[in-house]
Amino acid sequence: MSIVQQIEAIYANRGGRARELRRAGEKIIGYFCCFVPDEIITALGMVPFRIQGSQSEPIDEADALLEPMACPFARSCFNMALKGQYEFLDGFVAPHSCDTIERMYHIWRSNTPSPFNHFINVPHMLGPSSSEFYKNELRYFVTCLEEFSGRKLETEKLRESIRLYNRRGALLRELYELRKQDPPRVSGTEITQVLVAGMGVPAAEHIDLVQAFIEEVKNRPAPAPDGLPRIFLWGNEIDDVAFIQLVEACGAHVVMDDLCTGTRFFWEAVPETDDPLDGLVQKYLGTHCPRSLTPQVGARAEDLENRFSYIRRFAADWKAQGAIFYIVRYCDTCELEGPDLKEYLLKHKLPVLMIEDDYSTATIGQLRTRIQAFLEMIA
Amino acid sequence: MDATRQAKTTAVKGTHTAREVRPLVKNIYQSAHEAKQNGRKVAYMMVASHYDEILRAMDIVPLPTENYAGLCAAKRDMDRFLLKAEADGYSQVLCSYARIGLGFDSLRKELGRIPDNSPDGGMPLPDMMLGSSAVCDPRFKWYQAASRYLEVPTFSIDVVAPPPQADLNQVRDHYIRYQRAQFQGLIEFLEKQTHQKMDKERLWEAIRLGDQAWRLWHDIDRLRVAVPSPMPSQDHFSIMVAGHYYTGTQTAVDFYQKLYDEVKYKAEHKIGVIAEEKYRILYGGGLPPWHTLWIFNYFESFGALFAIENVYRGFDPVEVPAHIQDPVDYLAWRAFLRATRYHEKARARSGNPTVEKLLGLIADYAIDGVVFHACRSCRATTIGQTHIKSELGKYCDLPMMQLVSDMVDLRDYSEAQWKAQIGAFMEALAARDGSK
Ligand code: SF4
Ligand code: SF4
Repeated sequence: MSIVQQIEAIYANRGGRARELRRAGEKIIGYFCCFVPDEIITALGMVPFRIQGSQSEPIDEADALLEPMACPFARSCFNMALKGQYEFLDGFVAPHSCDTIERMYHIWRSNTPSPFNHFINVPHMLGPSSSEFYKNELRYFVTCLEEFSGRKLETEKLRESIRLYNRRGALLRELYELRKQDPPRVSGTEITQVLVAGMGVPAAEHIDLVQAFIEEVKNRPAPAPDGLPRIFLWGNEIDDVAFIQLVEACGAHVVMDDLCTGTRFFWEAVPETDDPLDGLVQKYLGTHCPRSLTPQVGARAEDLENRFSYIRRFAADWKAQGAIFYIVRYCDTCELEGPDLKEYLLKHKLPVLMIEDDYSTATIGQLRTRIQAFLEMIA
Repeated sequence: MDATRQAKTTAVKGTHTAREVRPLVKNIYQSAHEAKQNGRKVAYMMVASHYDEILRAMDIVPLPTENYAGLCAAKRDMDRFLLKAEADGYSQVLCSYARIGLGFDSLRKELGRIPDNSPDGGMPLPDMMLGSSAVCDPRFKWYQAASRYLEVPTFSIDVVAPPPQADLNQVRDHYIRYQRAQFQGLIEFLEKQTHQKMDKERLWEAIRLGDQAWRLWHDIDRLRVAVPSPMPSQDHFSIMVAGHYYTGTQTAVDFYQKLYDEVKYKAEHKIGVIAEEKYRILYGGGLPPWHTLWIFNYFESFGALFAIENVYRGFDPVEVPAHIQDPVDYLAWRAFLRATRYHEKARARSGNPTVEKLLGLIADYAIDGVVFHACRSCRATTIGQTHIKSELGKYCDLPMMQLVSDMVDLRDYSEAQWKAQIGAFMEALAARDGSK
């Protein structure tokens, strides 16, 4: 199997590797979003698994237990759990990423409990006291996981684990560098497959995959110039390639992103600190997510600059010519952030298409005309 | 819009004192306008953030933007604000309180003045905005977005609560320490805005008044166990104005004292709200349908009275340890104790604090049925209702129903559907009655 085929296979069968590992005696700890440190789980000898939904399966069973105005990503994950598709999880960990996830934690826990269930409170505010609080939440998480696993967390192990994830992050950034070429040698669709595949396998295995994939991409012949527009994507959970495929099929290259399933979870490395937990706190609370509130700085223009300049740099460095926002419907923090970011990017002459969608491949085709019109406009 | 504006929204109240709330509401906005004229500081704020007493102690005049949204709905004057926010790019599924607030701010900016005929004179430009993460995400994110229309200093605090399964002995310290730091951060921000140091004695005074009002309110609710019920839920939705928007003032204490006396008299003299109280209903949760409060009277026409409710509650008195000598420590402890009030019970039985609270109410208030209200755009108070309903069903056998609309956005509400649902619910109550 070529490396691309291997990645596609893991992407298509996301729980496959975890099930295998579990049969071999490993413990699998499932979690949501970008605020649960993989490093801790790995350092305790368990396998972290980032829970995903399925955009192609209808949400049927969850309806009886979880209201339809909850984020459909969360609903889809829970739907899969109800249908027994997450039976391989030894642990279920939810961070307080948003109202929906917080509420769902309790519903999930009482309907399909795992042997280990844990909730991590993540501050919405940022600052020294928030960091201290989150560190204490991580300490408590460690205590509970230790109890569950019967192992003690060794600082050296945690450092090793941090280095492992940092190495993966560095590789992914290297891969993203290859998107800078025009036209890029690697598509947005492939990138999503690589990232999502990695969420269900141990980091060491993911590193091997990414490394091999980078080699493969580097050896591809340079594509001929095609003049297609380069797109930056902003939004939340895109764990299915359908939307990116659609954008690319409409005649564009998706070259850079700020998504929970993209740069957000790996871009910043964990700094090496005396107490490794401090490094984890810095990285995880630094996650660029609308659910975290950047304290106000100066007047409006300065504040927007402080909140979003990293996005402007992403777009500039990857030479994006337009930005598409893909917001999973019912995500209040994204819905409130979108118009601000749009205003900011428009001021910096980057055209924006803001899309709100239902996290379902069944309805994605309806977006085609809007995307086409946008691409024509920026061409 | 004219047609909707004329429609009746309010409910007939059960107590006289509840009828005195209307001036209190008006006064919120009027005093904000006056304060602006007198150079006092006015702040947009979020109800139930546990910081009210700090504002009072620092002479900040509170402008509760969520309440304003509810007020617009009660006046059936919400569409122009909702539509404006949507035209500005806010999603139709975003919290409708936030949409009304943003739409109002946007219109005020565009016009350079308060939009004509705004309910109760509209909200003046605040000097600052104070958000919080208590209850939901929009409550800190909304003010950040509002800076698009009004450039004023904005500050938000976290309000944290541990999950029921957490070992409180292990997490108590860091939760309280963080809560304290968040309040302290707010105080420092306000000191900068007002150029004045906070006076701890004044804070203690506000806390004393706050606790006193909530204690009285709690005592009133305990009187409501009486059969027939001396005060219905629709009154609660009005009288909560004193406890939530006048926290830390003598006004709230006086108001509840008066209400207490009235409810006590009614309870003692068995003066009920309706002539024949056939069923006692628990309002199980969800924000009230501000646009259609008369629906409570509709229930009453079947002899079904809402005896107690689980919304705008949660501040029932708690015992802060006596060794706490600092008012900011006190606030942090109090917030923690409020948030964990039902944790122990939850751990012992259902695992769910809300379920425990509801079971307590069902037993104490001799409840015959439970009604929830799901609001399409409020995730925080809606998600989990279905689950709680099904969990409750494991411990009690009562007819339950969930009505669906929104707290203010009426665009997909159907009166006919509600009435049909209520009819079926009444049949279930009657059937249960017959089999008793
Ligand atoms: S998309 Fe929004 S609602 Fe859904 S999990 Fe993410 S932050 Fe929560
Ligand atoms: S989402 Fe619900 S709880 Fe939050 S501000 Fe809106 S109405 Fe209030």
